[in-house]
Amino acid sequence: MKKLLAIVLAMAMVMALAACGGKKDEPAPPADDSKQEEPSTPDSQEPAAAGELTLWTYPIGDWGKEEKVKAITDAFTADTGISVKVEYLAYADGDDKVNSAITAKSAPDLIMEGPERLVTNWGDKGYLVDLSDMFDDTDKGEINEAAMAACTHSNGAVYEYPLVITAHCMAINLDAFKAAGADQYLNLDTHTWTTRDFINAVEALYAHFNAPVGAVYCKGQGGDQGTRALVNNLYGGTFATASHDQYTWDDPKNIQALEQLKSMPGIAFDASLEGGDEIKVFYQGILKMAFCWNIAQQLNPNQADTGAGLTANGEEIVFMGFPADGGSPALQGGIWGFGIFNNGDQAKIDNAKTFIKWMCDSEHTVDAVKTANYFAARSAAEGTDLSSIWADNEIMNEYQILMPYLGDYYQVTKGWAGARTEWWTMLQKVGEGADIAETVATYAANANAAAAG
Amino acid sequence: MARQSHPTMSRALQRRENISGYLFLLPSLIFFIGFVVIPMVICIITSLTDANMHDQGMFGNFIGLSNFTKLMGDETFLEALKNTFIIVIVSVPAVCAFSLWVSSAIYKLSGPVLSAFRCIFYLPVVTGSVAVTVVWKWMYDNYTGIFNHVLKGAGIIDQNINWLGDSKYALWCIILILFTTSVGQPIVLYVSALGNVDQTLIEAAEVDGANSFQVFWKVKWAQMMPTTLYILVITTINSFQCFALIQLLTKGGAGTNTVMYHIYWTAFKLTEQAGHFGYANAMGVVLAIFIGLLSALQFKLAKEK
Repeated sequence: MKKLLAIVLAMAMVMALAACGGKKDEPAPPADDSKQEEPSTPDSQEPAAAGELTLWTYPIGDWGKEEKVKAITDAFTADTGISVKVEYLAYADGDDKVNSAITAKSAPDLIMEGPERLVTNWGDKGYLVDLSDMFDDTDKGEINEAAMAACTHSNGAVYEYPLVITAHCMAINLDAFKAAGADQYLNLDTHTWTTRDFINAVEALYAHFNAPVGAVYCKGQGGDQGTRALVNNLYGGTFATASHDQYTWDDPKNIQALEQLKSMPGIAFDASLEGGDEIKVFYQGILKMAFCWNIAQQLNPNQADTGAGLTANGEEIVFMGFPADGGSPALQGGIWGFGIFNNGDQAKIDNAKTFIKWMCDSEHTVDAVKTANYFAARSAAEGTDLSSIWADNEIMNEYQILMPYLGDYYQVTKGWAGARTEWWTMLQKVGEGADIAETVATYAANANAAAAG
Repeated sequence: MARQSHPTMSRALQRRENISGYLFLLPSLIFFIGFVVIPMVICIITSLTDANMHDQGMFGNFIGLSNFTKLMGDETFLEALKNTFIIVIVSVPAVCAFSLWVSSAIYKLSGPVLSAFRCIFYLPVVTGSVAVTVVWKWMYDNYTGIFNHVLKGAGIIDQNINWLGDSKYALWCIILILFTTSVGQPIVLYVSALGNVDQTLIEAAEVDGANSFQVFWKVKWAQMMPTTLYILVITTINSFQCFALIQLLTKGGAGTNTVMYHIYWTAFKLTEQAGHFGYANAMGVVLAIFIGLLSALQFKLAKEK
């Protein structure tokens, strides 16, 4: 009897395990449901039949905050009947999740990020749907030209529908600058300064505080647009060719910039910090300048909700362009929008296009842009003017002074992920005291070798 | 007749018991085959291919030993391998020696005191590795960490030390954390092993005139050899597979890249590169070979002892 019971129990366990494992192979119900839907055309604003979309979004302004995103996706659902299930990704491991999902053939329907991932990586590899049929001449006239170019692959396909843009910049602690007498080197009207001003300011700050006041962070790739912009702007170096087919950061002007930075005791090459860590240390008032900054940080430093443009101690933060020889920087752009994964279900692709149209080119675009806390990637959407949507926000209005300084969007250069790794590893080696010219040449060559495949 | 039928009945009984035994093993066997054996085989096969996430099919194209040849010239991999060996060579003997020393000092203590010591040393093991690492990260912090604060306060240093950002210190900081989280289990095992040493043998040795060192070396140490072997093998494997600390603290920078972390980075971060799965799996195979060789060496030495 005991043995019989043992056999029955063992069989039950095996069957339970088999049952648990079996569920994974079952097709997801929403996919079947969606086949029953009437496909909605991209231009249609009519409520479609019920359907479900999955959206994965990186933390792009408040598109990383559930309460804000829920409000806008609920409005979309009420309008179209299409429900949206949102998953929030972090930059630390978001790529891992997306890549794993692609490998497991369970990619989301929609993804929100920038051209370096959507166009250069997933679009280039054929995972995304070509959205070029969503742009008519009016759209092309309204959308920022540089943004449109960045969202378009060299094969002509458009893998990202741009929603918002911004210019990445740096920030300074104005109270600390005043205390050290370094505020004389700032042009607070234009928010720009020259390389000489920057060097003088760092020297004054270091003399006053006797500790590093800025950090060339290089623990990883997080926020690396800041270190690239700093190095490129100091003496007018470039990062990649205009045709985006080769990395040029072994430019002698970049080597000169790195040598200058390395020679300054007020600037630390810090391999224990990434961009986010640097923002935190700056917010705490320890560092007196941050190279990883943009309007979202200016509105809510360190995402701490302790007041726009203020450090934890209440000191005033001023955003600045990167120091440049002639005082006119070329700033790194941020372009964010939506891409659609081609999961083989046309009904879902059509619903995803409806979602994009609703968010990026309709009267609702104002809300979608304001949720991101950046600037609209287009001047108008279906007759709604988007150029003055931040008129009621003093900080956003003031920040627009930096937008004309937007430089080349070189993040779409081939082999981008590998190149980023080479960049911060190179900065670590420079920080450790390696020969700068030799190190830069080695790592730039590595990046180009990786880009060549 | 009854005498003749008894062995037949016994065999039938034995067979039934065997069947039930195997059925009880079946769930574990399914997990073992599904999550250990099959992935291991896939890893070995794909290490000989250019498998990546972009091409159709799991195995990619067969490229022979190209991945392994490439590894031999990959400076990043060789540096990661060197760092991994430093961690193993420093960490394993230190963990074993420290555990043995602490265990020898505490195993004769009375119940509650012994339990208190066990708790203290075992606490880092049962505490989540992320929580432990975050606390260490705070302590090591370049700008606000307690280590710099104390050292500066005591006048030992003038400028802050970038513990996790300077290659002179970073790997040793990682080894220190690994050490504190690794000693708990060996201490508990050694305390138990020391308590189980046959007292009659110790008394006999003492009667024969052995001093305390001789008693320890000739009697206790010999009887604890299976425990020592287990601790050596487990600590070696854990040290070889050091990943979470690197991921959470340095992301492989400042001279702390290890093979495990480099495998992860190659497989999941450098997805634009051709054959990244195959190449990462080749690293996994090399790491497994080194772990196997070192474990075999430890078994052999322990057997000789």
